[in-house]
Amino acid sequence: MRLKSGLARTLALGVAVVVVVLALDSAIHVLMAQNPFGGPRPPAEPQSGGIVGWLLAKQSEFYREMSSTIRAAKSDGSAVWTLLAISFAYGIFHAAGPGHGKAVISSYLVANQETARRGIVLSFASALMQSLVAVVIVGICAWLLNATAKTMCGAEKVIEIASYALIAAFGARLVWTKGGGFFRALQARQPVLTPAMATAAAASHHHGHDHDHHDHNHAHAHANVAHHDHDGHHHDHDDHGHGHVHDEHCGHSHGPTPSELAGPGGWRRGLSAIFTVGIRPCSGAILVLVFALAQGLFWAGIAATFVMGLGTAITVATIAVIAVSAKDVARRLSGASDGGGALVMRGLEFAAAGMVLLFGVGLLLGYIAAERVTCL
Amino acid sequence: MAGAIRSLLGLLLLGGSMTLAANPAQAHPHVWITATSELIYAPDGSVTGVRHAWTFDDMFTTYALQGIETKTKGAYSREELTPLAQTNVESLKEFAYFTFAKADGKKEKFVDPVDYYLEYKDSALTLHFTLPLRAPVKPKELVVEVFDPSFFIDFTLADKNPIKLVGAPAACQMKFERPNDGSAGAQKIGEQNFLSGANANYGAMFANKITVDCP
Repeated sequence: MRLKSGLARTLALGVAVVVVVLALDSAIHVLMAQNPFGGPRPPAEPQSGGIVGWLLAKQSEFYREMSSTIRAAKSDGSAVWTLLAISFAYGIFHAAGPGHGKAVISSYLVANQETARRGIVLSFASALMQSLVAVVIVGICAWLLNATAKTMCGAEKVIEIASYALIAAFGARLVWTKGGGFFRALQARQPVLTPAMATAAAASHHHGHDHDHHDHNHAHAHANVAHHDHDGHHHDHDDHGHGHVHDEHCGHSHGPTPSELAGPGGWRRGLSAIFTVGIRPCSGAILVLVFALAQGLFWAGIAATFVMGLGTAITVATIAVIAVSAKDVARRLSGASDGGGALVMRGLEFAAAGMVLLFGVGLLLGYIAAERVTCL
Repeated sequence: MAGAIRSLLGLLLLGGSMTLAANPAQAHPHVWITATSELIYAPDGSVTGVRHAWTFDDMFTTYALQGIETKTKGAYSREELTPLAQTNVESLKEFAYFTFAKADGKKEKFVDPVDYYLEYKDSALTLHFTLPLRAPVKPKELVVEVFDPSFFIDFTLADKNPIKLVGAPAACQMKFERPNDGSAGAQKIGEQNFLSGANANYGAMFANKITVDCP
């Protein structure tokens, strides 16, 4: 899609400028400002108090209703349904808060050429794992071992550190992989004198749109693809055929196509994303579980935790789909068929990979505040 | 040239949406504390510290009591709760005890709490502790705020007489402000914080502010 009219372009530019200003603003707020009291600084966005205030009020409302509903369920079984409804609503609202892997999943999806469908599956799988981890922690610590809150909080802290380290490691791996693609695209851009070569290089990034027969095996020959353990492929698009020009000497950069990632090997790789995001349980779920256990309704707590996870997954999946769609729009706007567009797309993927790494490191060092573990 | 512009556009658009996804929205409280606080004065009229009594909500109370052995089921004596109280005050240190004092505009520091204990009554835990100021102060205006900057804990002053001055000079006048329910108040204070640049911390919108003026 090309923006032919100058008006449309001006309009798009205007929108982009607004978006970038907002982005910078929030980035500065999150990254630069320091907590005057020395602790990890909470993400601050004071100017949007109205909506945030409302969201907070809603969440708190749902959350506080949970304890009274669990108490009620002791004598009246039907209160369990109310509990599940509240948990679901709470999950949806709560996932908008920090610590639910929105950022990691979205960045991962953008860094790799992921489809919206996979974004949804990743979101649900990681939310399911989050719920599972919460149930396992409380099940082992509180139910089996009757450990104290101090012990449980110690376990939570260890898992927290591990999850941040995992995010950082995951990001580092993405940066390593995506950096190769980006710098190759950068090199490919240098000899502008040979447009044919540039086009050839670019054509192969324009995934799924211009080839109908993609030789799967050749992909393994490329250096940067070797980092992805993909095998298996199927094609989402079967447009017109296109001469697939290959020239290894032309700084050829080639990421896996979405269709390649959707294969069985791609899922194996997606597992690391699920694990990275899913290992850190939500503090709210742990509190609810311990409370339910103390009331003799552990099973109701477990059900509530999984329903909460379902709500969380819906929010995270929505954000993930927005991120993937935005990348598609960006690809179209940047006109990925010319060399510059390809460079932009590689740069984007590289930046998204860098973002995952930054998140991990920021969380580890306490520059980015996540939801706190329940240690008091 | 046109290609470059389009490239830039694409980049901006994606950057924006990524930030949308990445920008962590606000935390919301998981723990609720109903607080009463006393400001303690020395005979010479200087403030020596703050004595808090914080009552936890039932969910956190249950969580905190998990695994604590008692002689009689459902009853927790002060002795049985001593290790937990110890853990509490130790953990609170990391958060500066959520208590922030300013004497005539100058930040004052607290030292480690003394006389701390937990009390279990009406299925709720109350943490009592006294925070001594590093050095007693005798300011014209003393401001003490109680809040969690990251808003993991929601502090609410108790309904009745939440603040007491203990042994204060008769001329001193005390007033306190409760945070608003978050929407209108958050907007207002948020803008102030935003404009003043520094101290723009989110939880401050939900601060309980005690002001004592001594002429």
